[in-house]
Amino acid sequence: MSKVKSFAGGTHPPGNKSLSSGAAVVRLPAPEVVTVPLCQHLGAPSKPVVKPGDEVKRGSVIGEQNGFISLPTHSPVNGKVLRIENSPMPHMRSGPAVVIKTDSEEGGEVYEPVADWKNADISTIINRIKEAGICGMGGASFPTYVKLSPPKGVKIDTLIINGVECEPYLTADHRLMLERADDLITGMSIIARVLGVADPCIGIEVNKPDAIKLLQEKGARVVPLKVQYPQGAEKQLIDAVVGRTVPAGGLPLNIGVVVQNVGTCVAVTEAVCKGIPCMRRVVTVSGLGVNSPGNFDVCVGTPVSTLIEAAGGYKEDVERLISGGPMMGMAMFTDAAPVTKGTSGILAMSSEEVRDVQEGPCIRCGRCVDVCPLNLLPSVIATASEYAKWEDAEKSGALNCMACGTCSYVCPAGRYLVHHIKRAQNEVRALVRAREA
Amino acid sequence: MAENRIFDLAVSPHVGSSQSTKKVMWDVVIALMPALVAAFWFFGPRAVMLVAASVGAAVLTEWLCLKFMKRPVNFAFDGSAVVTGLLLAYNVPSGVPWWLPVLGSAFAIAVAKQAFGGLGHNIVNPALLGRAFLVASFPVLMTAGWIAPMEWKDGSRIDVQACGVPTAHLSESGELDAFSGATPLSALKQTFNWEGDPERSEEVRTMLFSKESMKNLFMGRIGGCIGETSVIMLLLGALYLVLRGVLELRLPLSYLGSVALFAWLFGGPGWFDGNPLFHLMAGGVILGGFFMVTDMVTTPVTKKGRIIFGIGAGLLTMVIRRWGGYPEGCSYSILLMNLGTPLIDRYTKPLSFGEVKKNG
Repeated sequence: MSKVKSFAGGTHPPGNKSLSSGAAVVRLPAPEVVTVPLCQHLGAPSKPVVKPGDEVKRGSVIGEQNGFISLPTHSPVNGKVLRIENSPMPHMRSGPAVVIKTDSEEGGEVYEPVADWKNADISTIINRIKEAGICGMGGASFPTYVKLSPPKGVKIDTLIINGVECEPYLTADHRLMLERADDLITGMSIIARVLGVADPCIGIEVNKPDAIKLLQEKGARVVPLKVQYPQGAEKQLIDAVVGRTVPAGGLPLNIGVVVQNVGTCVAVTEAVCKGIPCMRRVVTVSGLGVNSPGNFDVCVGTPVSTLIEAAGGYKEDVERLISGGPMMGMAMFTDAAPVTKGTSGILAMSSEEVRDVQEGPCIRCGRCVDVCPLNLLPSVIATASEYAKWEDAEKSGALNCMACGTCSYVCPAGRYLVHHIKRAQNEVRALVRAREA
Repeated sequence: MAENRIFDLAVSPHVGSSQSTKKVMWDVVIALMPALVAAFWFFGPRAVMLVAASVGAAVLTEWLCLKFMKRPVNFAFDGSAVVTGLLLAYNVPSGVPWWLPVLGSAFAIAVAKQAFGGLGHNIVNPALLGRAFLVASFPVLMTAGWIAPMEWKDGSRIDVQACGVPTAHLSESGELDAFSGATPLSALKQTFNWEGDPERSEEVRTMLFSKESMKNLFMGRIGGCIGETSVIMLLLGALYLVLRGVLELRLPLSYLGSVALFAWLFGGPGWFDGNPLFHLMAGGVILGGFFMVTDMVTTPVTKKGRIIFGIGAGLLTMVIRRWGGYPEGCSYSILLMNLGTPLIDRYTKPLSFGEVKKNG
């Protein structure tokens, strides 16, 4: 194994991954009713093209792409549209969704596989990735086809597959690497071909030695990474793997790099080689608040409550329900919300796991400064935010914060640093808009 | 369909380290305990009583201030007032009356800390401002209240002068009988003033820098402030803080390094002939370096800023020791640098990840 690489800063929260890392992915059938969100990806929501009463087929488009940064949405089942409603969402309070009564989950009208992807037109492949509705499956849900269509003149020379999964508890990507290694490597090769990258690699934290070993045996180039949060953050991953720095406010493609999540690679293989659009994903259900944590392959639109049931139901003590990981995930107020393409995990956390502290005054210990992977002064930005000094917050680089939560995690005063900084970001963005107008 | 559960919302991250302000403060209190043992050993139960009085006054003052300002009084028990009380007592001579540290603590908490907004908002180190207040108000007590180590146990069998030089050495050179320095640093300071008598100065310095004198400095068998004399016990406490991950090493190391460098540079009578080891172990440098330069609230948050702070405080300490009006400059150097902290923070703001220097 080559030398273990890392980035500067960060911290190491307890992983708690053993709760679910040994549990093979269980494929759940589609529930009786699916609530398919039209806003699963970053950008404009899909425009619904069905109405209540319509019959839909598995794989048929129920919402069409609505702009450049947008994607179509497919029905994961054969069935009948009950209604189009505003549903609670795991990643936002609520959003538009198509509610479908399931008849079956067989056949339907999926796409023709791309015959020979190694020789097919690049544009054919990109078009397939677009029409299959694939977005980043790591959590940010950015439309994948956009990342694969760099502007003219931009040369991509590096493709990094993100198998880091640095968020505690989450094991969906880990299981995917173990159980779908071949599809992962195929997806990586397809993306590499689209981008014209010769030697793509997979970055994996060394706490997943079985995945590293398996993928190496299958001939993939694996870069072992130190177990350090947030190793899987795009900029930090690029820094660790190739030692390049993404400019502040810039994108990885500015320095010739594209990063794709392992789940995205598998979805690309499904779409290109089998013609199946992005309608399912693997979700980790974990936390001390569920009886038997595990990893589940479910249709998008499956309610969180169904996942919880599959994981043995709630224990008595459930303090918080989270979509995503405990560091960056969003608290949900209801388990009626459906799974989206970006839902990597559902955590039911007990009161002993959740940090619930009274916010104290900053003692200027500087620990947030020491750990910030973006080299910001979190305490300074947060204080500016508390006093509503938005110009100061902007000057301190509030907009560069990615809200990874490392500062809040280490803060002995229990300050809600991320919360204050996010608030400042909203205000600063408004300020910038006003200035430009 | 079954009724869906409703959960409380909260902001991320949903997990946190087990550290808290309270734990940090009590860790510092624990780390200061070995020095209290040394104070008991060398200066007797009275020294411990002075410390207790100082701590009691600090906590009581904090409680009263919070009560008066209608703030939650449990802040008085977060350990920060205890640290201030301890540090203030550690910074007064061992032979002062009991009300002196009490007054100092009350001033430190009420004026230096609470008047500025309480924990996290004070500009200078409360304990050191309390000490400065005492030096200004009771100069005689604060500069002459020394007692020799072990004097409390058996006054007739003192084998060490307060300055740390064994009595046997003193009687060997008859002429030096008249030599009296209450602390090693004041003895050293005197040698710089006997400019007409270089031979005598040199002789005293040789004695101060002797192996036995250094051993006394290391153990704490010297006259001095209650908690500052025993280098070994203070280092033990610092080690505890390092092991607990509470101590950030940029500040203490840059401070101690700076003291050592400038001690060698101009700490002696001429250039480049100072004794760095003596200057590190004498006076309050070890106490200050590990427990006061490292005060989180009053020192820079930026990494570069912490190093600048340490170097600046070290330079000022040595300037005061060599040319200032006092034999010891540790506390004033830290106070002065405290005032510069906001400025240091402003000019050492790091470039964020991927940011390019403007006009660069």
